Amino acid sequence: MKRTIAMAALLAVGALTLSACGGPAATTPAADPSAAEPAGQNITLWLAGGDTPDALREYLKTEYNKATGGTLTIEEQSWGDLVAKLTTSLPDAANTPDVVEVGNTQSPTFTNVGAFADISDMYAELGGDKLLQSFVEVGKVDGKNYTLPYYFGSRYMFYRKDVWKAAGVEVPTTLDEFNKAVVTIAEKNPNNIKDFSGFFIGGQDWRNGISWVFANGGDLAKYENGQWTSTLSDPNTIKGLQQLQDIQKAASNAPSTAKDESPWLYINDSDAVTNDDGTVTETSFNAATIMAPGWAHWSIGDLVKNDEGTEVRQWNSDKFGVFVLPGNDGKPAPVFAGGSNIGISAASQKQEGARELLKIIFSAEYQQLLGQNGLGPANSDYTSALGDDEFAKALTESASNSKLTPAAPGWATVEGSMKLEEFFSKVSDGGDIAALAAEYDAIITPMLNGS
Amino acid sequence: MKRIQITPYALLTPAIVVLLAALAYPVGWQFWTSLTKYGLKQQFGQPPEFVGAENYAAVFTNPEIWGVIGRSVAFCLVNAVVTVLIGMGLALLMNAAAKAARLALQVAMLLAWAMPVVAAMTVWLWLFNWHHGVINWLLTQAGVDMTGHNWLEDPLSFYFVATVIVVWMSVPFVAFSIFAGLTQVAPEILEAAEVDGATGWQRFRTIIIPMIRPVLMIVLLLQVIWDLRVFTQIQMLQDAGADYTSTNLLGTFIYRTGVGAGDFGMAAAMSVFVLVLTMLLSAPYVRSLMKEEN
Repeated sequence: MKRTIAMAALLAVGALTLSACGGPAATTPAADPSAAEPAGQNITLWLAGGDTPDALREYLKTEYNKATGGTLTIEEQSWGDLVAKLTTSLPDAANTPDVVEVGNTQSPTFTNVGAFADISDMYAELGGDKLLQSFVEVGKVDGKNYTLPYYFGSRYMFYRKDVWKAAGVEVPTTLDEFNKAVVTIAEKNPNNIKDFSGFFIGGQDWRNGISWVFANGGDLAKYENGQWTSTLSDPNTIKGLQQLQDIQKAASNAPSTAKDESPWLYINDSDAVTNDDGTVTETSFNAATIMAPGWAHWSIGDLVKNDEGTEVRQWNSDKFGVFVLPGNDGKPAPVFAGGSNIGISAASQKQEGARELLKIIFSAEYQQLLGQNGLGPANSDYTSALGDDEFAKALTESASNSKLTPAAPGWATVEGSMKLEEFFSKVSDGGDIAALAAEYDAIITPMLNGS
Repeated sequence: MKRIQITPYALLTPAIVVLLAALAYPVGWQFWTSLTKYGLKQQFGQPPEFVGAENYAAVFTNPEIWGVIGRSVAFCLVNAVVTVLIGMGLALLMNAAAKAARLALQVAMLLAWAMPVVAAMTVWLWLFNWHHGVINWLLTQAGVDMTGHNWLEDPLSFYFVATVIVVWMSVPFVAFSIFAGLTQVAPEILEAAEVDGATGWQRFRTIIIPMIRPVLMIVLLLQVIWDLRVFTQIQMLQDAGADYTSTNLLGTFIYRTGVGAGDFGMAAAMSVFVLVLTMLLSAPYVRSLMKEEN
């Protein structure tokens, strides 16, 4: 008797625990070709992060309704959870979103396992060879198109003109000059701010830090004899990492565990507090330079009140400036190409509606809307929509030499495992680069091949 | 001859049927997956390859996993004990305090208990932010210069912050449960002991504790189970900027292995292991609970 109750109790304990480790539902994808009419299909679009402005979302909803009579629901997923969400939702015909934005670097992992529907037949209609080819490549498997470019972004430098001037340094024209300049600024620290950074770059921020690796001819991985290999130990990669480590030692006071989130907090100079003795402590401003995606300029500037009385940032070109990170070869340094791809879930039951939406997204009007909002249009015919202000120029220039992360089948796995964050963090802590590179090569290589 | 009693079994049946029905599929799937090579390809429909105990062998020979297990057990025991101690202190305070003070305390604790985890975590992350967090500012104002100190960088300090948050979130439940237990202690007995010359500490140790022992055991057991599978708090702290490998606990490690890195077979094997570990950790409590009842 006693034993039975004890067993029941243990069983109950088991029930409580297991709810914490439920596995993903395994459902076989089953696209239903019988649902061939787009008319009245209600579909769901997943957008990643807040990059697509509200006006564009409204446009898509209205146009989709006009074209099909159905409703388009847009759900925003955070970049951090995207791989996990796609992994669990895309295979499930009952719950999959119909159209999905996916990071360009994450695309190969999902296209290689068959998560997306083949849209090769639409390729020419949606823009064909006018579409950004490096992004088209990461969406291709065996010559078939599964995902296409949605928009491209790029990264460039935002700097404090006043501080650079006070420190007596010019805007650099080579990478070596940049590396020296930011150290000089950190040493001179003209405003005498505690923990001041000449260039603020977080230790885990590999998406920006990778530029130094690329600029020195290094890379993250290479494809040889049918196998992907992690190349952190490559001499050129190590050279770039060494420069990055030197910057982190001498020019950056960012924590070694900081990521690439909201670096503009440190370059803006408001949020100052007045102390009891009348002196002013600037709690925010402590970096002369940051590296960020182009749309960060909306968050940089002086704090002013707009017509509705809310505080907004207003760009002040006397105080702030932008430049493209230079390489040592006269070209811009290759930065990590931001942006994303878009595709149709293979498990979606509403293929026709989803295809209608793609037509709207690749229409001339929507491509221009993307450009007007500072997002690089997928179709090169419409890049002029970006305008010709300093941000558009910096975006186009830095994108001209940008590079994608390896198109390995397991790349999203590498990102999802957070191993690159760890590796870069340890490098920034002053670790032995060669030893760390060998250690993480051994971890990352098997992941790359999707085993 | 001993007569077999049917009634107790008949009464247990519905509960066991519900448990089995709700558990059979997930546990069965979990166990089966743990015996296969199950990655992203399998998630998208390809048949998994049966590999027997290979995943388990990999689990037990991986020193990183043993580190995770060791840290998780230590974290859950420390947190459970600290939570119960603080909860008991607050329960005694509620028992002794005047009505108004007790009410204020109860409302405060209910608010903390009812706060959604993600909302509470967001506030905690602001408080501990290295750059503009209130904690650093207050400590600096108090004369300890903590400007720019990153609490999440060092694993020990990371676990300290995690413990503060987890304990803060679980204390109300423990305090209320123990308080309910305390109201069942007959005042006559305590009075009689006082007349006989027992000090406050003696009354607490030899009368109150034995009488509320069942409640204490239950809340301690629940805390151990809850703290062993802690996930949200650790995940959000890690995302705010911490070294993943050295701060992973079982929950985040399994999540990152399975959903993050697409190795569901290994993650399932780990999960089955956690199930067994939870049963082992709680078995002594369950047994002594049984003894009390008989």
